Amino acid sequence: MKFTVRGAVPIALLGLVAVAVVAGAIALGMAVFGGSDDGGKAEYMGAVTSRPVEMPDATLTDQDGKPFNLKQESEGYVTLLYVGYTHCPDICPTHLYNISESLKKLPKDVSSKVKVVFVTADPERDTPEVLKDYLKTFDPNFIGLTGTREQTDTFQEDLGVSVATRTDLGGGNYAVNHAAYVIAFTKDEVAYTVYPAGMGIPEWLNDLPLLVKKGFKPA
Amino acid sequence: MNARFLRRGALFGALALVAFGLAIVAAACNGDDDDDTGTTPIPVATVGKLTILDPWVRTTTNDVTAAYFTVKNSGPADTLVSVKTSISPMAQIHEMVTSGATSSMQEMPNGLDVPANGEVTLKPGGYHVMVMNVKSALKEGDSVDLELTFKNAGTVKLTAHVQKGEAMSGMDMGK
Repeated sequence: MKFTVRGAVPIALLGLVAVAVVAGAIALGMAVFGGSDDGGKAEYMGAVTSRPVEMPDATLTDQDGKPFNLKQESEGYVTLLYVGYTHCPDICPTHLYNISESLKKLPKDVSSKVKVVFVTADPERDTPEVLKDYLKTFDPNFIGLTGTREQTDTFQEDLGVSVATRTDLGGGNYAVNHAAYVIAFTKDEVAYTVYPAGMGIPEWLNDLPLLVKKGFKPA
Repeated sequence: MNARFLRRGALFGALALVAFGLAIVAAACNGDDDDDTGTTPIPVATVGKLTILDPWVRTTTNDVTAAYFTVKNSGPADTLVSVKTSISPMAQIHEMVTSGATSSMQEMPNGLDVPANGEVTLKPGGYHVMVMNVKSALKEGDSVDLELTFKNAGTVKLTAHVQKGEAMSGMDMGK
């Protein structure tokens, strides 16, 4: 049933996207081009959130099967958080690849201060072992978190993103519909910028040194 | 509860910005080819008035991957209706649709339109061919056969190279 409804969605969505683009144009005009006393927002290439996002106080299971408290482990670091799944064909590997390539290009005093945390929205398939094998192909330092379905769903709610849903692709395959942007928490464990699909290496090379060295000072 | 609601509001606000940002990105990427910096993609196959450029497939970490390419059209409108490959029994043409704070992949059962005297590009974060149940691991330097079928122009076979991510050569990194 859900499948047939989905098929009818795109045209309606186009309208919504058009509205969002216009709304975005107005909001962006205020947020980014709002003058020189904006606390330096304009230096960032990432999308500035209209309100800061707080890091959830959550303990999940890492790629080694050990408990991982996000807030404790993030202390003193910039944490790039992404909710995805390892069977994702397109956007997840693109973000992870772009981040790993950027970290390789950046000086050590920046890259050593960045943690990358990939939280699965597909805990049934993404066990710690699966996450470990997946992430090490990008960067062995990337952290993968999983848990029970309830834990990963609650985590997404606490993060303020829509909880992921599934689309059947046939033949036992399914896609996971999930938040498709990387959320960048500065050392104060609050995120002021997000990085959607379409943003990649140029944005990271510009923003990561700022996120590490300057943080983000709201106006 | 209230805080959670507010936070969601914040992210939707962010997404409005994001939608606008993407519009800019899309505009920047769809400009005249003459304006593009870097190398010109090498055409790898032609069928009728269609030319296929720069095909690549992502390295695998499990049994799922994606194929990307550009189709240039110097004739009337056409539609890419199916893609086949010997590495998998299941390849589907997908688009990524962003709705609110969530992005979903959707199969395009009617295929992907190739505009008359225009082009369409499959690239990360947009259109892609999702390849499922991949039979063996793909690593950098491998090649993958693709068979594209268009509604009017017919079928064309080509070879795509395997790489970890989108080639950087076409982008001007600037600083």
